[in-house]
Amino acid sequence: MSKRHPAFPLNRRQVLRAGLYGLGASAMPSLFARAMAADGTEAHPERILVVVELDGGNDGLNTVVPYGDDAYYRQRPSIGIPAKDVLRIDDYFGFHPSMGSFQRLYDQGKLAIVHGCGYENPILSHFASMGFWHTGVPHGGETLGWVGRIADAMRPDGAENLIVNIGKAQSLAVRSRVHAPLVFDDPDRFLREGRHEQAPVLAQLTGDRESPNATLAYLSDVAESARKSAAFVRQAWSDYHTPVSYGLELPLSQDLRKVAALIDAGMPTRLYYVKYRGNSFDTHVHQVDLHARLLTYAVDAMDGFLEDIARLGRANEIAMMVFTEFGRRVPENASGGTDHGTATPMFVAGHTVKGGQYGAPPSLTELDDGNLIYTTDFRRVYATMIGEWLGRSDTAQLLRGDFAGLNMFA
Amino acid sequence: MTRLSMTRIGGALGTLALAIVATPAVTDDWADDWAGDLSPIAAADWSHDRAAHLLERAGFGGTPEEIARLAAMTPEQAVDWLVNYHAMPNQLAPFEESGIFDPGMEPFPRSRAQTVKWARADGEAMGVKVKPGGDRPYQHVVNKYFYYLRSDRLENHRLGQYWAWRMLATQRPLEEKIALFWHGHFATGDDKVRDYRKMANQLATFRRLGVGNFRDLVVAVAHDPAMLVYLDAGQNVKGSPNENFSREVLELFTIGIGNYTEADIREAARAFTGWTNDGLDFVLDTEKHDTDAKTFLGRTGNFDGTDILDIVLEEDATARFIVGKLYRFFVSDSAPAGVIDRLAARFRQDYEIAPLLRAMFLSKDFYAPHAYATQIKSPVQLVISTYRKLGLTDLPGVPDFHRATEALGQKLLYPPNVAGWEGGRSWITAATLMQRGNFARDVLFPPIGEFRAPDRALTQIYRNVGLKLDVGLDITAATIEGGDTSDGMMSMADRMVAVSDEEFNTRYAAYHGTVMAMKRVKAIPRVAAAMDLTAMARDAGVKTTTDTVDYFTARLLRARLSADQQAALVAFLDGELGTSDVRAAMSYLEEPLRHLLHLIMSAPEYQLG
Repeated sequence: MSKRHPAFPLNRRQVLRAGLYGLGASAMPSLFARAMAADGTEAHPERILVVVELDGGNDGLNTVVPYGDDAYYRQRPSIGIPAKDVLRIDDYFGFHPSMGSFQRLYDQGKLAIVHGCGYENPILSHFASMGFWHTGVPHGGETLGWVGRIADAMRPDGAENLIVNIGKAQSLAVRSRVHAPLVFDDPDRFLREGRHEQAPVLAQLTGDRESPNATLAYLSDVAESARKSAAFVRQAWSDYHTPVSYGLELPLSQDLRKVAALIDAGMPTRLYYVKYRGNSFDTHVHQVDLHARLLTYAVDAMDGFLEDIARLGRANEIAMMVFTEFGRRVPENASGGTDHGTATPMFVAGHTVKGGQYGAPPSLTELDDGNLIYTTDFRRVYATMIGEWLGRSDTAQLLRGDFAGLNMFA
Repeated sequence: MTRLSMTRIGGALGTLALAIVATPAVTDDWADDWAGDLSPIAAADWSHDRAAHLLERAGFGGTPEEIARLAAMTPEQAVDWLVNYHAMPNQLAPFEESGIFDPGMEPFPRSRAQTVKWARADGEAMGVKVKPGGDRPYQHVVNKYFYYLRSDRLENHRLGQYWAWRMLATQRPLEEKIALFWHGHFATGDDKVRDYRKMANQLATFRRLGVGNFRDLVVAVAHDPAMLVYLDAGQNVKGSPNENFSREVLELFTIGIGNYTEADIREAARAFTGWTNDGLDFVLDTEKHDTDAKTFLGRTGNFDGTDILDIVLEEDATARFIVGKLYRFFVSDSAPAGVIDRLAARFRQDYEIAPLLRAMFLSKDFYAPHAYATQIKSPVQLVISTYRKLGLTDLPGVPDFHRATEALGQKLLYPPNVAGWEGGRSWITAATLMQRGNFARDVLFPPIGEFRAPDRALTQIYRNVGLKLDVGLDITAATIEGGDTSDGMMSMADRMVAVSDEEFNTRYAAYHGTVMAMKRVKAIPRVAAAMDLTAMARDAGVKTTTDTVDYFTARLLRARLSADQQAALVAFLDGELGTSDVRAAMSYLEEPLRHLLHLIMSAPEYQLG
């Protein structure tokens, strides 16, 4: 980020940070008043959900390692994590040695591990399986995202910036019927450049409008959302300074710090969505060193985020859910990697989560053609976040089915 | 076959320009019943707007003069001119390679660690010997590894830049457009391939076979070294198949998900075992090829990869899948009922792509409201069509092409994954929509003063290394972050870290390799767009600010602005010029016109093609 290592004392982007639409301190509060609908469906209107996606299919068996099971070492003679190296959870499981910060969170009771998450008739395609996790309706033809549907239920009338998705493109998970999720990547560049005298015309050209052309109507919605939010996001980011380390300066660290900045600045967002980008966890070949790095980067960033929001005094308002589209095949392949698989652990982290292990560990001997048989429908975790964390009573409606929560929050 | 040589030089044809403004805007009262109608559009229905639509979709848009030439043809002539491009000469200079390879650099190690491993075993790696004594014996070897990584990346950026130039300068726009389609379909990225020559060869295949026979194309791609590397085909060996390649061949390249089982994927993977490459050549490694019987899509036999492809091509689902993707790319996101099936039934007979595209482009459906001016331009389409509409023939070096498109979500030769770019609404976020307007501004007001060429700019970390070396710090001291040049003092902990790394210094190697790469890879010319909007307006014969706004909105937009918005633009121009008589303001027209174009290009309408 240029604000951390400015190349020049002042560059054009910084000069223009104030932006075409100005940035009076008055710009934000009235626009984004944090008023929640008192529709009775929500017990905790202050709570925020942060979803973290690990893109590419994280190897769950080398993440939460069943080191107490001989079958694990039989299936993974060259890439198995030696028992002596794991960070011990109990007599059967240990974290990958790169996950020191998760072990600490676990020991502090702030991290829940949910074993064996998956769904019936698993699909081993990245794109199809990720689509199932995004919609929360496997094999269902659902077109909206599960996070988007939560927003629709929270504020059926629409509201500014209920969902923020940090990334280059919008995730299907946040696709919503009435909300235009705010999607951006680099806050410093979230800026419409132009001259003072152009501003009124630009506002008119980019403003909301009705059109029979559905695509044009969509573009206008997005333009309107951008116009209203960009200055706030830029300001929040440029004002944000934290002493907390998020690990190496990688996109996930920065993205989670952007979330902290927006939370600190009073953004009315309830649903944040970030991802470890670029299909990174798709470790088909020579995965040992690569996977170790990926895990370090991911868990250090998440740990830093939790520490940072505690510093902000917002620890009790935030819970983070971590998922990937599938785990990997139990046996390693011939190239020191693993192919696409099925069930995999999920994580829920936060200061109010009841840490520990949830769900039954999947068997390493009773496999479906080399794949784990899932033990926990992943929608039970979604149900936990919707019902127990966000305190909503319409979980079954939102998830298109009845899924019991895991009793994970005090 | 109509042979026309197109010119994109304005002026002589300028008298046409005002006539364009008079062309009636597309309205909803015609053509609604054209949706789903695959019969050809009649010559009587052919118009400037429809010719413009054709050029935008089958190519990258163009100037009013280019559009006028197509509009003057019959629809069949216009479509044939675009589709039968192989009959047309196209004198484009080939890609000029920088020449980054030295003897012994191949085969490429996959990592720094492997480089060192090879060097340890053989006393040399990548053509560089290990130093027999002295400090950091592996330093030169590791330097070379980083030089290879960095120079390949820079050269691949030049290749992408060259491709963009072809899109701009070509006389055969569909050749480049279809290559762009196949690049998104058979998506392959140099971040993993790490060899621009393989990327260039793959692109040449897309140009050569792009509108040919789909079987030829898919067989060629299955033998293509860039693809084989990208999908780990080299790791797919008898006895322990790696499924990455066969899975994507089925799911993304041919038949589409839902038409096969996981078992089919594994059997197909066995058929592709041993398919690999030796540098730029396909190789079948017979030792690693599984010659036992496989059962695939219900058939059993000793299939090899080509057999698998042939079996897949016999499935109707394959024709539907490919037609569906082509339709979405060229025509519309929302295909009327039955259209894909009807087009696919014909395509299925011989898998010839050119007749399929010809039928699509000629159909009334292609010009129906669900298709006309409803497509969100991809970032590459936005950038290239902007340049073409402005009449440019050279690709501007400022703004940087890749930086511009990447900020909008697309970088040529670096697709996000093997599924390519999702396209459609996924191009648009609040941030990228703003950035699209900023791109227009960077074209119209090039940031010359502060521009730093990405192919020549070191990052801050490497600049610091260079600065510290220049003031006499040793390699260890120079490569420690935070090591201070003013007094040369380092903490003991820092020094320990540095000294323990004495076989080679990675950061120095990365710095050295980057600098070497910048020295060897040819520079991208950094010339800003040369355009003269005043001359454009004068040649168009505009008299008033209303004329001017009408002229430029017609030139740039396929979806029209509302009357209110047009009026706001006129008011803006009136204010800037101090008059509505443009002829009185000719001497200072250029800058206000550039502001005007920036406004037009910032409108949501400009994102539609």
